[in-house]
Amino acid sequence: MKTNFYRVMGALLLMATSSIQAAGLMVSDPWVRAAPPNAPALAAFMTLENHTNSDLALVEVRTSLPVARVELHRTIMADGMMKMVQQKQMPVAAHGSLQLKPGSWHIMLIGPKEVPVMGDSVALTLVLSDGSEQKITAKVRKGNMMMKGGHNKMMHH
Amino acid sequence: MPRPFFIAVLASFKGNNKMTTQPYSVFYKVGRGWLMLAAALLLGGCGSSNPPPKTEAATILPQAKAISAFTLSRGPEKTFDDENLKGRWSLFFFGYTRCPDVCPTELFTLAETLRKIEEKSDTAQEKPQVVFVSVDPQQDQPEAVQKYVSFYHPEFIGVTGEQVAVDKLARSMGAIYERAYFLNGKALIFDPEEGAPEGLENSYLINHSATIFLVNPEGKLHAVFSSPHMSDTIMKDLAAIQQSWG
Repeated sequence: MKTNFYRVMGALLLMATSSIQAAGLMVSDPWVRAAPPNAPALAAFMTLENHTNSDLALVEVRTSLPVARVELHRTIMADGMMKMVQQKQMPVAAHGSLQLKPGSWHIMLIGPKEVPVMGDSVALTLVLSDGSEQKITAKVRKGNMMMKGGHNKMMHH
Repeated sequence: MPRPFFIAVLASFKGNNKMTTQPYSVFYKVGRGWLMLAAALLLGGCGSSNPPPKTEAATILPQAKAISAFTLSRGPEKTFDDENLKGRWSLFFFGYTRCPDVCPTELFTLAETLRKIEEKSDTAQEKPQVVFVSVDPQQDQPEAVQKYVSFYHPEFIGVTGEQVAVDKLARSMGAIYERAYFLNGKALIFDPEEGAPEGLENSYLINHSATIFLVNPEGKLHAVFSSPHMSDTIMKDLAAIQQSWG
């Protein structure tokens, strides 16, 4: 029994380690946009880069922040209006990248018990389509819209 | 000459309206086509004698358009009405506080615009008042709207009111929005006449135009800035418009 237990633990440990290494998803510049103290919803943004040979997708996000729920959304312009459309997943193609930015893909943190302030850190766990998880820390800062053509207008204060 | 020019601009707005990407259908509309038609009739109806100032992003109406009289709530006690538009320039944006992406982006840009005007040292520019109208009085109390916008700039004015009053003002300016209901991430379809199913009355997001409306010191709609918005451009276009106003 004991040997079995260690074998299982060892296997689990190996799986855990390999999943971190094999995840191959590089997350850069994660941030949560500073919001009014009574904001009913927050948005988190980042750049996801997939350095593997297989397509990946972000399927779920968990956070240490006390919120009612987390959803994946994308803002689209249609019908002369900006529409937020909930997404089942955010696809990151093999050797491709996906930018989560204002006016586009974003992680929506709905119903925060307390709104974090500038400079705070928000822990996020990204769950990927291959079952792996990645823990990241997003800083709270002010932000602005990304212009069409990828010209970044993020503001740092 | 201004007439065909403006109609061309209007047509290019309409170019965005193709029903291309619409994964979820939408059930509550505040007569969009109707608005476009009304705007076309109103704007196409008359011309102006002076050539408009050169602007980068602002579309100046050939003839400033009167806004129907309105009274909205500002905070728990104060009101905000059409008289508050007289004698100063105003920038209007229509949104709602549960909006996590578009409204914060626009409010940030507008706050940045005001700060840039405040910091201008070479030539003083008259600072406009910025008015954020919540189109969601069902879930946004007036005091919450004011608190929400004050975060972006202490001088921002946050207002809302009876849905009919908000709708009337929006229609008068040409702002469009609609409620889209969801249940577990899926579109919820029901007869708008009967209303949302019990318990799901607040399960909606609001799709809305991201236009910034410029109202002149006579309280008339003077120009519109369609998105995306840049604070530098808004500031410069506003300065050009203010100068030509003389």
